[in-house]
Amino acid sequence: MRQFVTPGEELPKDTRRNEYVMLQNGKAYSNILGFYDSDKKDVIPLEGMWKPRIGDNVIGVVEKPTKPGLYNVVLTEFVQGLIITSKFDSGPIFEANDIIEATVASVERKRLAILERPRKLALGQTLYVKPVRIPRIIGKSETMANQIARLTGSRIIIGRNGIIWINGGNTELAIKAIKTVESEAHTSGLTERIKSMLEAEAPVENR
Amino acid sequence: MASSLNKPELIVNGKRLDGRDFDELRPLKIEANVLKNAQGSAYLEWGNNRVLAAVYGPKEAMPRHTADSTKAVVKCRYSMAPFSGLGEHGRTGPNRRATEISKVTKEVFENVIFLNEFPGSEIDIFIEILQSDGGTRAAGITAAAVALANAGIKMRDLVYAVSAGRIGEHVVLDVDMIEDNYSDADMPMAISPKSNDVLLLQMDGGLDKDQLKQAMNMVVEAGKSISKAQRDALKAIYENR
Repeated sequence: MRQFVTPGEELPKDTRRNEYVMLQNGKAYSNILGFYDSDKKDVIPLEGMWKPRIGDNVIGVVEKPTKPGLYNVVLTEFVQGLIITSKFDSGPIFEANDIIEATVASVERKRLAILERPRKLALGQTLYVKPVRIPRIIGKSETMANQIARLTGSRIIIGRNGIIWINGGNTELAIKAIKTVESEAHTSGLTERIKSMLEAEAPVENR
Repeated sequence: MASSLNKPELIVNGKRLDGRDFDELRPLKIEANVLKNAQGSAYLEWGNNRVLAAVYGPKEAMPRHTADSTKAVVKCRYSMAPFSGLGEHGRTGPNRRATEISKVTKEVFENVIFLNEFPGSEIDIFIEILQSDGGTRAAGITAAAVALANAGIKMRDLVYAVSAGRIGEHVVLDVDMIEDNYSDADMPMAISPKSNDVLLLQMDGGLDKDQLKQAMNMVVEAGKSISKAQRDALKAIYENR
């Protein structure tokens, strides 16, 4: 059973504690717009910001370099990424407006993410989605992302900050599928519906 | 304008001018997520009030010197559209009244937003009054709370606001423009419904101790239906899909 919750709405006492649940006078309250899953006893947000965590895979746009060896990367409106290449003898060199994929190595002052293992993504398209819907787009043990990639023949890289990179295959269909998952993330039976949608529209040779 | 000389009869046969009881709200309708480009938005119709609220952020605070490295700063702009009122209101640009309302609205939301989650950032709240009929600051706060929740900003509670007033010896709820102009007291309040904490209380005119108690009880009682309208508006975004 899923039930929508709004900020300040009381939750059952046995709700799992996460950052969207607050305790006051021995009672649990939601502090975000989301839904309460009574099977998992968990609050899942439907709107919200991405907060960088160590190990998050992110996609960003490189800004014009100002200092040698340092590259600023735009991850979201609030979070800035930084690549430090001067540690290495011959690090990768980026230009302004390059799309890169990287992993968050550490977070400073909640809004500066130090990135490691940067990799340039040439070609392809980028797609912006709401960061809180990314877990649903990836799916439980990556089922949703794998299914979209398999049935459309596209290469898909998902950044936790809400940017998705798609290349090759039936890109239009993949974007359509991802947008559907994003807008219907709160509904159940979504994996099956996406599967039938993709199978109805994707040409057979792509599979 | 308001004058005691041409004061109209505000209560006729135990009912107010628009036929409401003393503790009756005007019809309230809220719709969330109405603007595509804003992170969160809400449109509210409360009697003849029409309010649009939009929220952006958290984003980098601009200009930089306004940023606080320990918490997010809330910026609020309340403004009345040039076509919102009858003549006197509605010149464009901030005036003394709009600056005051922006300030008190900002302070209401500073109390409920988790500001330390986003140090160095700013959260922008824009409240635009499209049509005014008294009680617009309460309508603006009610709409902005929905817009903030829609933007996914972590909050302790969903604030609502409503005004109470006094006509003669009667305490009335949700005063409209004509009552506001000629009544003996007008008291907008913003309440955090979880604990009934008062986040805003302003008063024109005067109430005695019992009347103040009665007005507060009326506001809290009416708040239940306002809160429900706010929460229903937020849930409707997803339920209709």
